[in-house]
Amino acid sequence: MLADYEQVLIAAVICWLLFVTIDVLFRLPEKGGVSGASAIGKKIEADGGDLHGGYMMGNIVSSPDASAGTLLAACGVYVAGLPGGLAAAVLVYIGNRICHDPGYAGTTGAVLASLMVAGLAGIGFAPENFIAGMVIAILTIQGLSHRYASRLLGSLWGWRS
Amino acid sequence: MAELIALYICGVIALFAALRCLIEKDTYLKLPYLNVMNFAVAGIIVLVLNHPLSLLAAVAYFVGSTLEANAIASAKAGGVQND
Amino acid sequence: MIEFLQVILAVIVLLGAFATALSRDPFNKLIALGVMIGGIMPFIVDRGYLDVAVVVALVAPVTTIFVLTLAWRRDEHGA
Repeated sequence: MLADYEQVLIAAVICWLLFVTIDVLFRLPEKGGVSGASAIGKKIEADGGDLHGGYMMGNIVSSPDASAGTLLAACGVYVAGLPGGLAAAVLVYIGNRICHDPGYAGTTGAVLASLMVAGLAGIGFAPENFIAGMVIAILTIQGLSHRYASRLLGSLWGWRS
Repeated sequence: MAELIALYICGVIALFAALRCLIEKDTYLKLPYLNVMNFAVAGIIVLVLNHPLSLLAAVAYFVGSTLEANAIASAKAGGVQND
Repeated sequence: MIEFLQVILAVIVLLGAFATALSRDPFNKLIALGVMIGGIMPFIVDRGYLDVAVVVALVAPVTTIFVLTLAWRRDEHGA
């Protein structure tokens, strides 16, 4: 049984890897889904960042994708166990359809994250530490430095395509 | 009290993101910071009250604020293109 | 709710209210209003009024979309 702060750090690393992998696999950095996402990407590129990383950050802002799915699935597992996580996946799909998005990335992320959180809860990880870990993971992408985060995401996208 | 450390982390990150969002000058670059604050507030909503309906409240808040950010960014982008 | 969280959320609400009052650009005003509503939501949930919280979370973005439509029309006719 690990201490709480160690669990939060490990959960942050796992959640970061999960949602960045799913977002890049579902081709979010390829183009902006709506005109607002394209505008955010172009603004970040004008500020010295990478265009495809900026598109991915704009898509995260303007529709609930795998990062939102991971957070809400962790919340669902925290309140109601594995069925709560799957209910959160259904709600994320409805939210994606409201925001004019196909909804594959968000639903896949929510289902995989609820399975992962429920599985790791069996071996001693607490689900609330995954909520804190996901908030830390989204802070490192969107909240610290747009320039370096977009360059990192752009290099991952270049490696994917 | 395992959820206490998670509440502290979410609260500090929400305050940090709100400050950076209000300090930033450009409208497009404000929106990612607002998104971080929405993540932290959705986590706080679930952590404060452990009840199945609070999951619905968190999802409704998150989807609503995402739609709001989407509308603001798209309206500004469309307005610039029309001008 | 613990006292630390009450202080932090109250600071967020006050900052959002002052920024809403002071900002000139309509888009920045709406973003600051979103910050303020985000600070208010956990206080509603803490009392147990989850239905009120869902209604507030769904009404706030609809209000923003109406205000955006009005602002866009005013700009179009004013220019």
